[in-house]
Amino acid sequence: MADTPVLAQIAPPARRITPTMPVALAILFGWLMVALTAPLIAPYDPDAIDIVNMLSPPGAAHWFGTDQVGRDVFSRVLYASRVDLLLCFAGVLPPLLIGTTIGLLSGYFGGVVDNVFMRIYDLTVAFPFFVLVLAIVGVLGPGLLNFILALALVGWVSYARLVRAQVLTIRESEYIQAAKCLGYPPRAILSHHVLPNAVGPVIAYAVSDAVLVMLAGASFGFLGLGAQPPLAEWGVMIADGQAFVQQAWWICLFPGLAAISLGLGFALLGDGLGQIQRRGVTA
Amino acid sequence: MNGLETGKPPLLEVKDLSVSFGDFEAVKTVSFTLQPGEILGIVGESGSGKSVTCRAVMRLLTGAARAQGKVALDGQDLLALGEEELCAIRGRDIGMIFQNPASHLDPLRRIGQQVAAPMIRHLGLGRREGLRRAVKLLEDVGIREPEKRARSYPHEFSGGMKQRAMIAAAIGCQPKLLIADEPTTALDVTVQARILQLLKELNRKTGLAMILISHDLGVVADICSHVVVMRNGEVVEQGPIDDVINRPRHAYTKLLIDSQPGRKTYGTADRPDRGAPLLEVENLSVSFSSGKGLFGGLAGNSNSFRALDGVDLTINAGETVGIVGESGSGKSTLARSIIRLNTPSGGAIRLDGQDVGALGGEALTAFRRRVQMVFQNPYDSLNPRLTIAEAVAEPIWRHGLADRKAAQKEADALLEMVELPRSLRDRKPRQLSGGQCQRVGLARALALKPQLLIADEITSALDVTTQAQILELLVKLQRERSLTLLYISHDLSVVSSFCQRVYVFKAGRIVEEGVARQVLSTPQDPYTQALVGSLARLPSLQTTPSAEPVSIHAT
Amino acid sequence: MSLLQLIARRLLQLIGVLAGISLVTFLLVHMAPGDPARLLAGERASAETIAAIRSQYGLDLPLWRQFLTYLVNLLSGDIGQSLRFQRPVSQLIEQFMWPTLFLTVYVICLAIPPTVALAILGARRPGGIADQIIRLVGIAGLTIPVFWLGIMMSRFFGVSLGWFPVSGYGTGFTGHLHHLFLPAMSTAIWLVPVLTQSLRAALIEKTTADFVTAARAQGATERQIFWQTMLPNAVLPTLNLLGVMVAFMIGGAVIVETVYAVPGLGTLMVNALLGRDYYVVQGLTLVFAVSTVLITLLVDLLTAFIDPRVRF
Repeated sequence: MADTPVLAQIAPPARRITPTMPVALAILFGWLMVALTAPLIAPYDPDAIDIVNMLSPPGAAHWFGTDQVGRDVFSRVLYASRVDLLLCFAGVLPPLLIGTTIGLLSGYFGGVVDNVFMRIYDLTVAFPFFVLVLAIVGVLGPGLLNFILALALVGWVSYARLVRAQVLTIRESEYIQAAKCLGYPPRAILSHHVLPNAVGPVIAYAVSDAVLVMLAGASFGFLGLGAQPPLAEWGVMIADGQAFVQQAWWICLFPGLAAISLGLGFALLGDGLGQIQRRGVTA
Repeated sequence: MNGLETGKPPLLEVKDLSVSFGDFEAVKTVSFTLQPGEILGIVGESGSGKSVTCRAVMRLLTGAARAQGKVALDGQDLLALGEEELCAIRGRDIGMIFQNPASHLDPLRRIGQQVAAPMIRHLGLGRREGLRRAVKLLEDVGIREPEKRARSYPHEFSGGMKQRAMIAAAIGCQPKLLIADEPTTALDVTVQARILQLLKELNRKTGLAMILISHDLGVVADICSHVVVMRNGEVVEQGPIDDVINRPRHAYTKLLIDSQPGRKTYGTADRPDRGAPLLEVENLSVSFSSGKGLFGGLAGNSNSFRALDGVDLTINAGETVGIVGESGSGKSTLARSIIRLNTPSGGAIRLDGQDVGALGGEALTAFRRRVQMVFQNPYDSLNPRLTIAEAVAEPIWRHGLADRKAAQKEADALLEMVELPRSLRDRKPRQLSGGQCQRVGLARALALKPQLLIADEITSALDVTTQAQILELLVKLQRERSLTLLYISHDLSVVSSFCQRVYVFKAGRIVEEGVARQVLSTPQDPYTQALVGSLARLPSLQTTPSAEPVSIHAT
Repeated sequence: MSLLQLIARRLLQLIGVLAGISLVTFLLVHMAPGDPARLLAGERASAETIAAIRSQYGLDLPLWRQFLTYLVNLLSGDIGQSLRFQRPVSQLIEQFMWPTLFLTVYVICLAIPPTVALAILGARRPGGIADQIIRLVGIAGLTIPVFWLGIMMSRFFGVSLGWFPVSGYGTGFTGHLHHLFLPAMSTAIWLVPVLTQSLRAALIEKTTADFVTAARAQGATERQIFWQTMLPNAVLPTLNLLGVMVAFMIGGAVIVETVYAVPGLGTLMVNALLGRDYYVVQGLTLVFAVSTVLITLLVDLLTAFIDPRVRF
């Protein structure tokens, strides 16, 4: 009311970025460059079999060692980044776009569309996410494409739910009422006034979701349901190396570290974006 | 001061109190004293440091705050106490109640337990004895069926009842001092009057000394004997209430007094009633259903709530009509119905004889240009992503009245008209003050050159001095643009100083209508009488010659 | 609304969701590309075998009739027949469910104490050094692939140090505890950061809550405020998250069980997927979904028990 809350005066001035965000961006940029230039910087052909040098430990010739058929682990890790990075985008973008559109319409117009969506939502969250994706991939057949398809089929729901929740509050705000009162067409209100204000948390969520997608992709590769050998993918590489982990730990270790570092890039970026979002709300 | 005159030692002595958050000094060398049994008012607008001062007295500020000076309760310096000694004093010797009772009660615990907790803690009572006393206290603060209510949870209480429960919890240990931080601001006016009455009685019966913090000089004048006026962290003036109000020495105090709603009558009130009916509302009803989803609807009966119930009213061209009512009276529902944000369940709204509900296509667009609205919340009514110039220009180009470039020019002119400096045009709403945002809202509503302007509680979120400025601006704009105004407010004194005719709303119905000043001076309906009776007016209002219309602008 | 009414309403909703779940699991097999009879019979089956299977499984009937049969079967407890094991899926589940259940409870027991401790440590001084470290380690913890962690831990603690067995389920309670320690640990390491983040955020939000200020103004000590006011209010959102997480853990179990060769439902699921044993996949998906729904229901009721506002 008349007096602003005491805390509002105490809060430190909002910083536009968090200290971890430059680190996150550097990691992501680094992996993007690696993915783009893999053929140039990889010392070996990732699929070249070299039985003589199989299971050789990390050293000057093979920085990350070689696997059970003598392929260079370092080169394979670099090449695999192309698959995993692509996986992140292909796994996040379709659910993001579908979910945002449906959430926007469902939240803004309500009614039958919203009711149907909410039933679909209730039903989808009844299934453990991973199990549902697993079952769909299982039925469609193993493979990267089917994995991405299953992800889109299941993943859009959480985006729609998030956008819908945003839109529900925005819809009640006075600037939307003012826009209606000023006679703006619904399409303009949605694109110009609702969407720009709803999209922030969704982007932050999408970036964090990229971590989950990458981990799920690697897990599917590991289980033999995602990327198929001999394609270099971190999950597949770890699965390959599991049988030899007692003699040759390096086959498993390095792809895992690579996955963690890429995941860290997305997670830190998502965390930073989320923090900025929350500050924006409270400021 | 007071203490020296009477020779008694003061109960509370605040001397040279300064509070800073980092580089920001929120309170600067504030001094005042409080005698036993006295009620002291601290009045000021947002950012004046009045709440920080009192939280510093209670040592309730967060770690980032640094307090210096002396705060002595019965000679004991509170600023020097350790955490343990503080806990023994808080709630025992000093009680405190807050602005928003809803958020200050623990949602998970029963009211009785919460009222009993300080007594169990400080007086060493058992649970059972504590609860027994809590029930008694609830009865004392005017809660009916205290036995039953003690077992309720906070969300089952109304706003007024929550504040009563807070008071009960604060006075349970019979403290020497009660600090009340804006205790009635979040409440309806009639409830506000009853809570203030309760505080006055407590003071009279038990001699409980109080500090009442408020933005509302009227409330302070109603129950305090002394007043401290604060601004930007400093005390600008203090003294006995009558002295300060009748003979203010500081310019700011004068401004504050002059800005009190009802102190001025604006020119419009005396303009003769003329013009044909512009807007007619006939037997309007609006209901909201409160169904609970697909399965809830099957399980329970879906009950609907009537927000408006057979409302008739007329607004003539060029007139200023006021609508007064408390929360839930349906006044905002009416506004939303007129601009077609609600669908009425019965009755009709006509603009120039045309049924508004039947409009579509071109006719609806034309209607949008004729009827516009300004909203309550200064920040929420502007899209946070648009600069204010963009926000004001948008309706012009969207309606095809000009291309985007020309619309920007026109927007600049509109911003100038609402007296906003040119340097602000590229700012986002968050970088503006509340009053500035409301000016932008006005400029945007006027961009389409409407005939009828609806103003829904447009000053209720603003400080009194800002409120007075906005009202003046509204009067000026109305005259320049020959606007018809529908002014909606919970504040009868604002409405009656500003409007020619007024409708009083209660629970979705009109209980009284008539010429504004008559309604204020001789209310007929019991509810209007209660509303008029609960107006916290300055004691000098009747004695000053301000009953004469003070016209700020030459007509 | 009383607690009983709430339960009644939730049970009514449950029927709708269960119907939806059975429809999805039904469609899962029947909407799959290709002829289900061919899928069931396998690649090398002759035309006669396929025809026999088609009529044996009622696949020549219209889809809605098949769904009806499926529903009736479900209601009588028949969730399908494994093609590979030639046994009812329900029997298989009964046989494989105990390690999974044991593992889930084990993970929760391992995860909750550090979660509460770390969240309190972080929330005590928000933005302090301890808080920053917990937050960053938490974020990092989220990015570790569980299967990789499992392999690495089994290699280190199992093979190199020889402290724990790296596969199997063991016998007897202590045997289970011993055998499942590494799988439970790998899952908990992933679960703790998520829960800590939530509880920490909720705690910090409550430190600035108005009712905490009010309690302080009434003379409550910081200890009393923390245990009596802040923690109960902060637990609610975390409780909800835990419900969601148990659903996630069921998914996680699939991977962890595979890594450590635990004879649980996850291993059963992966083998069924790789072996194209569709009715097992269908039955397991159904069982996973139903248990998720029941856990959610339990969490909701627990929330309603703590929070009077939910029982409006």
